Amino acid sequence: MSDKEDPQPEGRKEASAGLIQYSPENLVPFGPVHPALKEPEYFKLILEGEKIIEVIPRIGYVHRGIERAAQERTWIKNIYLFERICGICSFAHSLAYVQAVEGILQFEVPRRARYIRVLVAELERIHSHMLWLGLVGYWTGFDTLFMWIWKDREHVLDLVEAITGNRIHKSYSTISGVRRDLPENIADPVKKEMAYIQQRAKYYKDLVSSEETLISRTKGVGRIDADLAKKLCPVGPLLRCTGIARDVRIEDPYAAYDELIPEIKTSTEGDIASLLALRIDEVNESCRLVLEAIEKIPSGPVKLTAPRSVPKGESMFHVEAPRGELFYYVRSPGGIAPERVKIRTPTMANILTATAMLKGHTLADVPVVLTGMDPCFGCMDRVSVFEVDKQKEWSVLGEELRQYGIKYYKERRAG
Amino acid sequence: MDVLQVVEILVFPGLTFFVWLAFVFDWLDRKTAARMQGRVGPLVAGPHGILQPVADFFKLTTKEEIVPEYSDKLVFEWGPPLFFAAPAVGTIFIPVISLSAIISNPYDLLFILFVLAFSTLMAAMLGYASAGRYSTIAIGRLVVQYTGFEVPLIISIVTPAILAKSLSIEGIVGAQSGYWFVFIAPISFGVFIIAALAELEKAPFDIPSAKTEIVAGWMTEFSGEALAYIKLTKNLSYVFLSALGASLFLGGSNGPILTHIPILQDLLFSSYFLVKLFAVGFLIFAIRTALARIRIEQATRVFWTILTPLSLLQLSIVIALR
Repeated sequence: MSDKEDPQPEGRKEASAGLIQYSPENLVPFGPVHPALKEPEYFKLILEGEKIIEVIPRIGYVHRGIERAAQERTWIKNIYLFERICGICSFAHSLAYVQAVEGILQFEVPRRARYIRVLVAELERIHSHMLWLGLVGYWTGFDTLFMWIWKDREHVLDLVEAITGNRIHKSYSTISGVRRDLPENIADPVKKEMAYIQQRAKYYKDLVSSEETLISRTKGVGRIDADLAKKLCPVGPLLRCTGIARDVRIEDPYAAYDELIPEIKTSTEGDIASLLALRIDEVNESCRLVLEAIEKIPSGPVKLTAPRSVPKGESMFHVEAPRGELFYYVRSPGGIAPERVKIRTPTMANILTATAMLKGHTLADVPVVLTGMDPCFGCMDRVSVFEVDKQKEWSVLGEELRQYGIKYYKERRAG
Repeated sequence: MDVLQVVEILVFPGLTFFVWLAFVFDWLDRKTAARMQGRVGPLVAGPHGILQPVADFFKLTTKEEIVPEYSDKLVFEWGPPLFFAAPAVGTIFIPVISLSAIISNPYDLLFILFVLAFSTLMAAMLGYASAGRYSTIAIGRLVVQYTGFEVPLIISIVTPAILAKSLSIEGIVGAQSGYWFVFIAPISFGVFIIAALAELEKAPFDIPSAKTEIVAGWMTEFSGEALAYIKLTKNLSYVFLSALGASLFLGGSNGPILTHIPILQDLLFSSYFLVKLFAVGFLIFAIRTALARIRIEQATRVFWTILTPLSLLQLSIVIALR
């Protein structure tokens, strides 16, 4: 740990210094590498004793330049690229992208394919929520809950593997449908596993509402109300736990959500305990949707033949990823590759709310509150360079950044 | 001090024996937690992975040791051996192979209390000497937690002493021939176990070493050999406190005398001791696996508003019964 500042342009440092006064004595670095964070991200915590008075996030540690890389790849190759944005909600990313492209192509996706998309998307929601529930156990020092839930999560992942061929990066959706039909006799294992998950979800619901140490760590912690939520615009469960019932699946149905209607779960408490209960409810609801989808699934083709090049045009699409609204904007120049793809991930929308939730709490609450939004920093990281005094923004080439880094460390070693 | 006594202190049932027990406890702790969590735990080194703690220890000793620039070099380098000394000295006063300990005096319980306090003091000094930011926060938490758990811990240790009318562990173990003190003072035993969890920094009181909050707590800046010895010391404290609990409340090495042949009698007494030691150990393993970590102010509230009155209640019941 060093008292010295991390590399930033000079103007930026002044801008953040005007925000809040802090000294090396009361600054505790949380990250970029920290046991509570699975991905590198840096939060400066300004403390008074153990109490947090300010949180300054600094994003960009795993910026991978995916939006730029997408411009160099064909429409089909991009599906697999965008899946790599997130290791957990990979299907949501590919789904949002292909539906945006289908919007430009004006494709009518086969009904069976739309049902299969709902099926896989809901399975993904179950496994993503269970992952977070387990991690809450880890963050509160309750490793047993962590291990148990992750063991149950394997059942869902096995199911996903049986359907799509892969556990995490499914490579399943394609422009105009899904790449493969469902395997034969999948209905019985799906029903069996969903019954098992529902039974476990009931058990965990009882556990999180009765285990005293867990309640004492989550009840009333990280509370936000609806007014603050409206100001900071969080998405997904973080918004729904304040009592605002918003869900893209209902408001703007995509895939087969116009026929398989999910019930929106909300809570009015707005704290971590209510987020726990809410996500378990959502797991239950997703199980119901999966069962409904497998019951009502129609027969027919699962994909059409998509052309290699896409006509000129632009399209926007949003889906309800497990973490909230995931937004894709795609612009085609009329060719084999997109001209611009803009992605807004749920974590980007939620990070300000998470830092606002932290203020006034103690250091002990940081892991569980900060990650209450179910962060996915790799999805979120962006880079923009600007000079505060000149109000000017520009792009930096890789070589310039490298030279800047060399210069910075040289100066640091010397001084 | 004759040669035999030196052998007893250094080999059996003294230092070497207890260090061996510390490795076994580490393995049992990990294995029990793994089984309760639906995992398999250590598996590769030795049969069922029993040599894994030993392998971890020797691996750590070969690692590079980094001394932070701003640390207090003297304490940072000489603290770990002193920290190790605390539980190592404490174990000498616990009877293992007979009803008498290797070294005993009429007031050794007071010395045990000093050892427990010294252990926490050394942890605090090591943390401050390393001058890390996470360490500083951890020491704040450690000291607050210590002020909480020490009073109930001392009261619960004193209760069996009053029952046995003796301030030596040997005397307390000897007084439990008819019945164990856990049956007369069950609350004290419960308070002792909970306070031991706090002393050992195990869940739900692993607040000073909370991994997801302050990395490794006051141990964050230690590496290499020093870290290996600190970890060993923590496991040795684990054994020491379990042995103390077994001796004070479960009769320790005391039990029915079935034979008078010297060697067999030693074996008998040590097997009584080991069975009780592992029973207390498993109780601690199970509690620490089944609970989540609480916050420091919640821990303090538990100690001052629940455990201290409870242990005082038990103490007054015991005094009234006498």
